[in-house]
Parts: sequence; structure tokens; C-alpha cells
Amino acid sequence: MKAFEYATALSPDSARDLVGKDGAYLAGGNDLLALMKEYLVDPKRLVNIKSLPGMDKIHPGSKTWTIGALTTVAEIEDHKEIAKTFTGLQQAAAEVGSRQIRNVATVGGNLAQHSRCWYFRHRDVHCLKKGGDMCYARHGESKYHSLFTGNTCISPIPSNLSVAFGALGATVVVLRDGKEVPMSIPDLYQKAWDEPTAHNSLQQGDLILRVEVPVENHRSAYLQISEKSVFDWALVSCAVAANVDGNKLSNVKIFLGAVSNVPYQVQAANDFLEGKTVDDATAAKAADLLLEKAHVQAHNGYKVPLVRALVRRTLAQITA
Amino acid sequence: MSESSSKDGFSVSRRAFLKTFGTSAAIAATAQVEAVAAELEKANQEKIVGPDPVPISLHVNGKSIKLQVEPRVTLLEALRNMTPLTGCKEVCDRATCGACSMIVDDKLVYSCSMLAIEAQGKKITTIEGLGQPGKLSKVQEAFIEQDALMCGYCTPGFVMSITALLRENPKPTEAEVRHACSGNLCRCGTYPRILQAALKAAGVEKISKTEVIPYAELA
Amino acid sequence: MPSWPEKPKYISSHHTRIDGPFKVTGAAKYPSDVQPEGWLYGMILRSKWAAAKLTKINLDPALKIPGIKAAVLAPAVDERQKSSSDVTMRYYGEEIAGVAGTSKQVCLDALRAIEVEATELPYVVHEEEAKQDDSPRVWEDTPNLSKPRIRENGEVDKAFSECAAVVEGFYTTPVQIHNPLETHGNTVLWNDDGVTCWASTQGITSVHDGLSQGLHVPRSQVRVISEYMGGGFGSKFGPINEGLIAAYLSKAAKAPVKIFLTRFDENLAVGNRPSSFQKIKLGAKEDGTLHAFEFDNYGTAGIGGGGPTAGGGSGLTLRAPYIYHVPNTRVKQAGVNINAGGARAFRAPSCPPSSFGMESIMDELAVKMNMDPIEFRLKNDTSTPAWQIRQKQYKLGAERFGWKDKYKKPGSSPGIIKTGVGCAGSSWGGRGGGSHAEAEIHPDGSVEVRCGTQDLGTGTKTYMALIAADVFGLKPEQISVRIGDTRFPPSGGSGGSSTSPSVSPAILDTCTKALQALQEKTGVADARGANWKGACKKLGVNPLLTKGEWQDGLSGNDTGGVQFAEVDVDTETGFVKVKKVLVVQDGGLILSRLTCESQLNGGVIMGMGYALYEERVMDKNSGVVLNPNFETYKLTGLGDVPEIEIILFDMPERGVIGIGEPSTIPTAAAIGNAVANALGVRISSLPITPQKVLTALGKDKLA
Repeated sequence: MKAFEYATALSPDSARDLVGKDGAYLAGGNDLLALMKEYLVDPKRLVNIKSLPGMDKIHPGSKTWTIGALTTVAEIEDHKEIAKTFTGLQQAAAEVGSRQIRNVATVGGNLAQHSRCWYFRHRDVHCLKKGGDMCYARHGESKYHSLFTGNTCISPIPSNLSVAFGALGATVVVLRDGKEVPMSIPDLYQKAWDEPTAHNSLQQGDLILRVEVPVENHRSAYLQISEKSVFDWALVSCAVAANVDGNKLSNVKIFLGAVSNVPYQVQAANDFLEGKTVDDATAAKAADLLLEKAHVQAHNGYKVPLVRALVRRTLAQITA
Repeated sequence: MSESSSKDGFSVSRRAFLKTFGTSAAIAATAQVEAVAAELEKANQEKIVGPDPVPISLHVNGKSIKLQVEPRVTLLEALRNMTPLTGCKEVCDRATCGACSMIVDDKLVYSCSMLAIEAQGKKITTIEGLGQPGKLSKVQEAFIEQDALMCGYCTPGFVMSITALLRENPKPTEAEVRHACSGNLCRCGTYPRILQAALKAAGVEKISKTEVIPYAELA
Repeated sequence: MPSWPEKPKYISSHHTRIDGPFKVTGAAKYPSDVQPEGWLYGMILRSKWAAAKLTKINLDPALKIPGIKAAVLAPAVDERQKSSSDVTMRYYGEEIAGVAGTSKQVCLDALRAIEVEATELPYVVHEEEAKQDDSPRVWEDTPNLSKPRIRENGEVDKAFSECAAVVEGFYTTPVQIHNPLETHGNTVLWNDDGVTCWASTQGITSVHDGLSQGLHVPRSQVRVISEYMGGGFGSKFGPINEGLIAAYLSKAAKAPVKIFLTRFDENLAVGNRPSSFQKIKLGAKEDGTLHAFEFDNYGTAGIGGGGPTAGGGSGLTLRAPYIYHVPNTRVKQAGVNINAGGARAFRAPSCPPSSFGMESIMDELAVKMNMDPIEFRLKNDTSTPAWQIRQKQYKLGAERFGWKDKYKKPGSSPGIIKTGVGCAGSSWGGRGGGSHAEAEIHPDGSVEVRCGTQDLGTGTKTYMALIAADVFGLKPEQISVRIGDTRFPPSGGSGGSSTSPSVSPAILDTCTKALQALQEKTGVADARGANWKGACKKLGVNPLLTKGEWQDGLSGNDTGGVQFAEVDVDTETGFVKVKKVLVVQDGGLILSRLTCESQLNGGVIMGMGYALYEERVMDKNSGVVLNPNFETYKLTGLGDVPEIEIILFDMPERGVIGIGEPSTIPTAAAIGNAVANALGVRISSLPITPQKVLTALGKDKLA
């Protein structure tokens, strides 16, 4: 890492001041320090935000749960009530990295983390996402890459929690220049869809304060497939949330992870599932709708059947 | 942001101070003494240090260690390079292998991904804090008994992981051990015996399926 | 003439590892842990070009950084600069220079300060492209593709026309990287007294020689220490470039310098297992006996293989038809250079890929002929070393594994999750020789046994104690064992599964002689056990030092082993779950049960990584290694490990045979066969990932 200044912020306002134009917030540090060790980012000052008051609490509610951005992923994994109320979120949390990572990784950090594309992460490859001319994955090794993108970059979103939060219709509240800005999951990642150099819609100095999760969906599930059984990034992930009556769904949202620069949703698929009884045929049709705009690269065609499998399995899980 | 020292020796962020009270002398003059003290305290705790080395104090295995480190030095680097505590290892420096695992405030963490400066004020346990030759912990004894080690380089990390697991979950199932310790890698292939050792330390016996057959007895 | 005790108490027992307490507490000091007085941190600057001519290297800006005490060019670069020849980098990661300073941080800053300019050259990083005539050349004067070597036996073309059944296949295995947990490195002190090197090595003698020759320091003034080391798997012999750089830095800085590679660099520059691209044709007669075999393989050892291994070679040339007997063969092999780090011997060099190709096509032919794969193997594994042992192993293993019930027609398993089984056999030399040791018996009864060998985690120290204990009638705890120092009697390197068959006879000889000497000197007829202390007291003031060495007749070679694997393959996701592996292994005289079993587990787990996860990925548009980390160079994890069952044959009459390598040979082959049996379709390329399974099932299309 390059040398940097360090300070601990005790209030969000101080944090914003301290981080200025060229500083970075330090929460769990898993992603930030890794990026710095490869010289991919160069903050002149790290601002430790782990002492900001009240941001590490989980507040249950009858209509909305509030999860502070400094809540650790382990706390979500271990939370018995979350496992019942927002099953998909707990399942997504349990698959994040390893226990050591989950113990310090924060909800905010997980949402804000940068791409894991091996070209982006490589210190000696100046790819499109870093301001270079070419998306190396498109012309090279693309087995881990996206099926859907709004721009030339095909690096897929790595955040498990974003996919689960997306399906749950959560709102991420971001503090931007002193004002609270609520963002849906699609809002939070819109810029990554539009611009190759963006990982999300956050600007310098933005601080994720909390995630508000509405209690409207009865059942939810998150599944992923990786090359290894544990402690491995998803090849494809899927989260679904819906009200379930018998096998009939309503208020459905289904999101895919690791197949696009954003947690990927197709409204037509949600609309199709609305009011439907889940069986293999409806699941297959929903998958078809999700895959409609898919564009396969040289090495990632196998993600197509993975999407189909996970759509079928998550729907089966919530109707079980 | 520039710093200026006040008479009482605090390094206070001038801008923060003025921001709180406004630049009007009248407002500053009417501020409560306690509020001023509290703001100075806050500003002091928020003071910017580095990039040059800073004095820090780490609480490791029950003892206090004083070091001078740049903010960019990780907890692992500080202990491995500046103290004799070389038990926890640097293997990947990227939070992927667990050889650097330590317990910090009762949580198992990758010390390669934690800055030494932010580990201050926390209770840190390294492998040396769990036992010594001649005075081994239950987990350490189980490792030796079950031969859950070979070259030994991943061993401190695994011992830390299993120790942390058993503190939280004294009677884990095999699946729980696998899930909880999946953040540790071994290249020599000691996993089956690590599982055995973890379960043994938890008071559960797992049968090893090895038998030796004298060749002469074969048909 | 010493001989193995007939009824040993400790040899072949379940005695625990004697260095266990030091490893589990962090007390064991590895070469990366030692902190000699005034030690400095060192780091290496490496080429970020796959091929380039360096036009400028300026170390001065590094030397200006406070805390930096020395900066040197890599020896190869220095030499070429001095002789005014081109300094050409030929792979991403090749060494350029080294720096030493008071902290890791100043070294990081120093590396970034060094000015390097280069003219980029064309390069090639994929074997298929490198083979082409118009490919950029790695070495200007040599075509990338070597002239193939062809070996023929019998009349293979005629033989194929006589076959009742013939199958053809194309099997590929990737470049595999050793990735021991302790990276390559040394802590070196070079001053007027000579050189002291704490080396993470499998061969202190190889480092001894390498430093002496490379630094032009008399051998008597070089000392290498490696009491513990964190794994090598074949890649750690000689000081290699990082050891020499650390030495030059130490001389310049007048302080010890510790250089241990980052995980990133470990994946670039310090060895790997060559890839293979095996085109195989195999035919059998009506009764199932193999009759014709044609083999055409090429693979890459990067810029060139071999390297400073203890005579093992890098394994570029495969063994074909490996353990099977075929009277008519044509074997054609070549190597292709690419701009990537060179290969080095990797656990059973050449065998895991050889096994994968051969055992895969054996199963294909068995299926075509409607023969049970084990029956087919029993019919044709009839002449190579240890074949009789393997015959028994297949029969016994099949019974224990439940093969008859589990082996079904390929792809016939119902449901989405398909089950399958497979098997494969192995053979490995593992012979020993040339080791020396000494035993020092003190008047107070304490005894120390010393040998200049290594313990990679293999258990060397432990069986040394067990042998001494059995000879002297003492407990292992009463024996002090010292290894890993070139001041001790020399032994060979720890490679080729040669350590135990080399060291153990030397220890037996030494201790037997020591006991005799003690008895002669003190006049005590039997000094063992209860008589020990009294006898030693009679030594008077000075200890008794006895030397010994390896003797013939106590060790053997050629082990046989077979493995069975059972897998579940999820046909919707392509995920392969290995449920069980059964190892039936021969190990001659098993010195130490626990450490032997651990070696077998280890080989299987590494073989599983080779089967399912491991692969070095090169990028053709940038020339870099894309996955120099554990995130995307994936090792088998605790969550992946199946139930591993071991049946160990005990054959003490064959003496001690090395066991480090055999168990990693057939694992990937057995798993590959099990996957093919489950699916009815074969994935003939390692690693077998969900991507490859789904593609093989024809599911990777959008429509």
C-alpha cells in the first residue's frame, strides 16, 4: 500500500469532512485494503467509520426493519429473526467469504465493494473499467463474466447482499453532502449499468447509513453456485422474494447476481410470476424472460443453464 | 486539513473547532465550558495521524506492546516484523487463506486485512496466547493426537479458527466445523484430521477409516 | 549389518509427531520467522512484460528512500548488463532487481521508485498458438515447439487393424502451481565470516551448493539451516534467484536480509507442473487384452523446464502407456515454449497427467467393449513394477468399495444428481540412498541424533526418533532429533519420495553402531532400556559420537497404489461433489502410521484440486498470469474434502519405500472416470468445472 493519513470519525459530518476529495471510508477494510495493496485505488487518507454511533444496530419493525450499514455480515448470518423474516438475506450473508471476513465485513461495505473481475483486479492490466481502452474480458478469459450489461464492461457484480436486498425491495439510505438520499437497489447500481468505470452510483464522500427492508414478502430465498463448495465467489446467484399462498405467488421480485454489472432484474419476469402457481414450467418461463437479453461471451455460456437451475430452485424453496 | 496545536498540547483540528462554534467570536464566547471540552475531546479523538509512523499500543495475549507504525502497517505485519510473535503466518496477505487468523475482541479475523492502528484498544489473541509446548490447549492437544498437521504452516490459523468456533459453539456438527473453518486453507492436505481434531476437542469422536492389512494375509 | 527390529515398539506405531507441540503453538521458527540481529526486509522487482528488452534500469531513486539499505540487480540481469548483451525478459514476473530496507513498507515504496524502461517484444502465452510456425518465439534461435521424440515398439499400425475395438480421445491437463503455504524464500546473512542462510527448502545441500557456486564463496564458509519449512512439493531446491538476490543485498547492506515471495510472485516465477495435450488411440483384442497404443502429446514448461531440482526433471515428458502393458506402441512427445514461468518438478512429475490420459482412455475402451473397468485393468496391468500388488489392491479395494453394486452403465443414474464411480492405478519409484547421520550419547543418558535432512511436514523428525527409540530401548521423548543444518552429516534432498528410504536406513545404521560402540566402550553387554542410564554413566566425562550411513537392503522401491472415487454430479448446475475416495496403497515398511496416513490424505486432496479446481490462467492480450492468488487459483478446501478411506498394505520385508508422491497420482483420473460414469459423457479436460460439465452436456447455449 502507499502511505496514507488516518483518522477516526465520531460523527457522519466529521467523516465527510475528513474524507474530503481524496480520502476513503474504512469500515471492515476487506475490499479497500485489498484494492490498495494492488494500487488500484490511492486514497490519501483513511477515515475509520466504525465508531460512528448507532450505525451498527439491527432494528426490527412490524413494517420495516432497519439494518445499520456498520452491521457485520456475521451478525446478519447469525440473526435468528432475520433468518425467519428475510430468509434470503440470511442465506446470502452466510455465503459471503469466510467467517473471518464476515466478522468484520459490513453491510455497507458489501454493497459498495468493487468489481472482482480478474482484469480489473490485476495491477498490471489497464482495462476499460480503470479508464483504459479495452474490456480485456471481452477479448480474453470470460468465464466469470456477465451475460447482461448496459455498457462495454462485462465485469459482474460481486455483492451477495445486493441481490438479496434487491429481491426484498430494500431501500439503501445514503448520506450525500449532509442530506439523506434513499436509493432502491437498482438506483444504487444504475451508474454501474451506464458507465464502464463505475461500480455503483456512489460518489466521493457518500456514506451508506442504513438499509431499510420492508416486511412485505412472506418468503424469500437466495442460492448461488460456485466452483468450490464454500468460500468462493458465485458463478451465478439468484434471490427471490414473494408472498406465497399455497403454491401461488404474489408481490414477486426475482434478482440475479454475478451475471451483470448490477443485481439483474427483468420486470417482465416478475410480472409473469405474479399470481402464478409455481411449477417447473412457470419457473422455466420466468428464466426465459430473465434470459431474454442475455449475450453470451466466449467462455460464459454455461451461466445460462445456471440461471435456469437457480431460478427453479429458489422458486421451489419459497414454495416448499 | 491543517492542524494547529493549542496551548494545552492537544492536536486539534482547527477547522473542526471553528466549524462547531462558528467564526463569530460572540458565539464562541457564549459556548458552555463542558461543550468546548467535549468538542475538543472529540476533535482530539478524530485527529489525523500519519503518514509517518505513529506510536500505538496493542494489547496482545494479555500484554501491552508499544510500537511505532505507519498507518498502512497491518496487524499481521506489526506483530510478525516488529515483535517475536511470528506464530501467525503471512501466506497470502489478501484475506483468502486464514494463516494469519487471530482473535480480536472475541471475533476471528484475518489480521492481514486489519490495520495495526485500528487494532488498538482491542483484545488481541495470537496463537502464542493459546498455549505453549508443555502447556497446550485442548484444541492444540487434539491436533497433535489426531495428527492434524504436516508442514505446520497453516496450523496456527486452523487452531485459532477452531478455538474461536468452539468458544461460540462448543458442540458443533461436522458440517458446522466445515462451514466455520472454510476460511483456512491447507496445501499439505490435513483437512480430514483437522475435522477429527475439532470434533475430538469438542468431545465428539469421529472414526478414522484407515486400516493396515499385512500383505501376507491377502488372498 | 543392521536390520529392522522384528517386533518394534515405536516403528510402525501411531506415535504422534514429535514436533507437533512446536507447530501447534507457533513456537516453531520457520525460515520466514527467524529474526537475526539487525535483519532487513527484502523484496524483488519483477518484469511486468511477458517479453521485453530492458533499455534502462535505474536503482538510485530506490536508494534515496529513507530506510532502504541496499538495492541490487538480479544476478542474471547484472551479468547480461556487464557483458553488454541484451537484457531480455521472457515472462511476466521474471526478476529484475531487489531492495532491502528496515520495513516492508519502505521496500514497497522502493520497488515503485526504481526506474525501468523497456521495449516490448511480441510474446505468446497459450500452447496452441505457440505451436504455430508464425508464432512469436520465446527464444529467438529456437522454434517454440521442440522436435518431437518418437519411440516405437512392435508394429502399431498393423496392430490397430487387428483390434476388435479402438477408441480415440484427446485429454488435456493444465499448468498446476505448487503454491506451498510458505512461499519461496530465504533469510540470508553474508558477511566476512561467510554465508548463513535460513532457507525454506527441500534440499539444504542444494542450497549449500547453489550459494557457494553462485556467490563464489568457499563451501566450507556456507551454512544452510532449515529446521522447519512450510511445504515445497518439488519446487524448492537450490537458492534460486530470490536466494541469490537476498545474499547480494545482505552483502551490500551488511545485515541479514529476509526475502519471502508474495503469493502473487509465487504464482509467476518459481515453478509449476507442465500442461499436457494428449491425443491417444487405444485398441484391444476381442478378449480385452490391449494390442495397440498411439500417443501424441505436447505440453508447456514455460520458458523451459527442469530448473534446479534434485534430478527430478520437470515432468514435461509423460509416461505412456504408464502402468499398462501394450505390445505395439508409438509414443510421440514434444514440448512447446511459452512466455511464462518455467516448470519445476511437482509431486510425482509426469504421473498425474499420464495417469489422467491413460486411465480415461482405458475406461472408454472398457465401456466400448462392455467390460467392467476393473476386470479390464486386471487383464492389462500385468507387467510394470508393482503390478502384482495392484492386482491385489484392485480386488480388495473393489470389495471394500462396493464396486459391483456401485458400478453401473454410464449415465444410467436416475434424477438430476447423477452418481458415478471410477478407479485408477499408480506406480512410483521412491527409492533411497546416500544419507549420513550421527548419534551423540551423553554420560547423563541423553542422546541426540543428527542428520542434514529436511522435514517438509512428512514426519522425518518423528520417524528418526522412533527408530532411535526402538534401537536404544528408550522412549521417543528421550531422543533429541536435530535436522536441517548443513553442519550435520549430509543427506539427500527431499524429493522423489526419497527421504524416508534414504534417511531411515542411515538412522538405523547410526543407532545400531552407536549402541554397539556404547556397549563396547562401557563393557555393558546390553545397554538398552533399563540398562541405558547406567551404561551411559560409565562413559565418564565425554559424550560418545558415532557416525553411520545408508545401507543397502533396508529400503526398497516401486510402490503400487489404486484409488476408487465416487461422485455426485448435479446435471443442472455442473457441480461435481466427490463423496468418497478409497485409497489402497502399498508403502513397504511403514515407519510411522500417523505420518504415512497423513501423506496419503494429502496426496488425494492435492489430486482432487488438480481434478476440479486448479489451473494457471494466462491472458493473451496482456501476457500476464490472471490468477496469481488463492481467490482464483483455487485449492481444495475443507468444505470440499470427501470421506477418504485408506487401506495400507504392510510389507516390512520390502523395507522402507517413500510415500510422498504415489497417492497424488491416480486421484484426478479416478475422479474423471467417476464423472464420466455418472454422466455418460466424458469431460476430458482438467479441471472439471461446472463450465465444462454444462458444456459437455450441451447446455451452454441460449436457445
